[in-house]
Amino acid sequence: MRATNVSFRYRRGDPWVLSDASLDLAPGAVAEITGPNGTGKSTLLRLLAGLLRPVKGRIDERPAVIGYAPERFPSAQPFTVAGYLRHMAAVRRVDVPEELTARLGMDHLLGQRLPDLSKGSAHKVGLAQALAGEPGLLILDEPFAGLDVTARAELALIVAEVAARGGIVVASDHQGDLRTVPGVTRHEVRDGKITQVARVVEDDPLTTLTIKLPQSKADALAARLRAEGHEVS
Amino acid sequence: MIPLVTFRLSGYVRSHRIFQPLLGLLAVLSVIYATGVPAGGELPSYSDSAGILMLVFAWGARGLLDNEPDEQRLIAITAVGRRRELVAGLLAALAFTGALALVALVFPLVVGFAETPGAADVGYGAGLHLLAVLAGTTLGALTSRPVLASPAASAAVLVGGYMAILLLSSAGPWASVPVLDWMNAAHHHELPERAAVIAASAVAWSVAGLAGYAAVRRVRG
Repeated sequence: MRATNVSFRYRRGDPWVLSDASLDLAPGAVAEITGPNGTGKSTLLRLLAGLLRPVKGRIDERPAVIGYAPERFPSAQPFTVAGYLRHMAAVRRVDVPEELTARLGMDHLLGQRLPDLSKGSAHKVGLAQALAGEPGLLILDEPFAGLDVTARAELALIVAEVAARGGIVVASDHQGDLRTVPGVTRHEVRDGKITQVARVVEDDPLTTLTIKLPQSKADALAARLRAEGHEVS
Repeated sequence: MIPLVTFRLSGYVRSHRIFQPLLGLLAVLSVIYATGVPAGGELPSYSDSAGILMLVFAWGARGLLDNEPDEQRLIAITAVGRRRELVAGLLAALAFTGALALVALVFPLVVGFAETPGAADVGYGAGLHLLAVLAGTTLGALTSRPVLASPAASAAVLVGGYMAILLLSSAGPWASVPVLDWMNAAHHHELPERAAVIAASAVAWSVAGLAGYAAVRRVRG
């Protein structure tokens, strides 16, 4: 899939969210989209998913089967988890993703109503519907946010499996969990452009840095470091 | 596409928002048929019912189309494609408003008409309700959230649009959806002669409106 010289803005006269931005994604690619808040990561994901049309430029060779998990799953719907997944499986003409629900640790949620779910549980429902049916393009907007540790690790494995069978995975990820996936490339959205961030090469070993700073500034610095692609714990 | 139509209808019914247009339907039918309709007045009553209920159909269609959250609409688009998602929403709205119209057709046969009308009158009544379903669903789609994001603006345009249709339809059969024209024709026993023009005008306006809806959705998702 190839995005070529894509420019996008929501309304005429608005500032450009993306300007002359390009991105090449080969089958099996896992792309992590980073960047500060409000720079257009979600907009880029929606463009790649075909939910928005570029004002200029083009996006070619988009795989036919697309899985999309939004940042906030729309849980204000009058279904149980099982009922919703059954409907969405029928819509996609695939089997109900029973194995996925087990792997994501959500079997105990199947009888619950969507509006009653916690944020993390609702997020799992969004992931399960996106992953059903072996998507050729998987678009995940902050997929690890709100997930428990087990589900985060399992999701990273599932992403690697999708890529291994030739699927393209594009995800924004402030948590940095995607970096455990082999072969992941990192792309930063900033000032309307998409820039591939250099991968950490093997002859540049990782080191641990301890920083002392006022507690009130810790969260902001951690967020900034994560946005720049560093692992923060 | 059928599973998505089923999903949309199921969500609408389960949300209980379906009761709003149902109550509107029952209120209109009660007003029209409360005092009974003497023999010979069946087709005029059907024409009034179709004309007035167009607003209820528009209300119901808008409610159904707006029932699911925006993010769910995006998920559905990625699942089945933009065109199929749009058509599935419209089919669900047409199925629901069609069911309301069926109730409006059968209701007076049970409690409103003094005598059972002939097949021709029932057929013309069904045809007029079908036109009202088509035009009402179109008006509902044109005032749904992807087109008009503000609920206040949407409600105002829905009611104002219906009133404008009524006013303009007094100017001639092609000036808008010919609601007053079909009422006038039915009350003066001229519907068989004027039915073709009335149907052509209503269908043409509805198709134009649906094309506009599709054009807006193509841009706004």
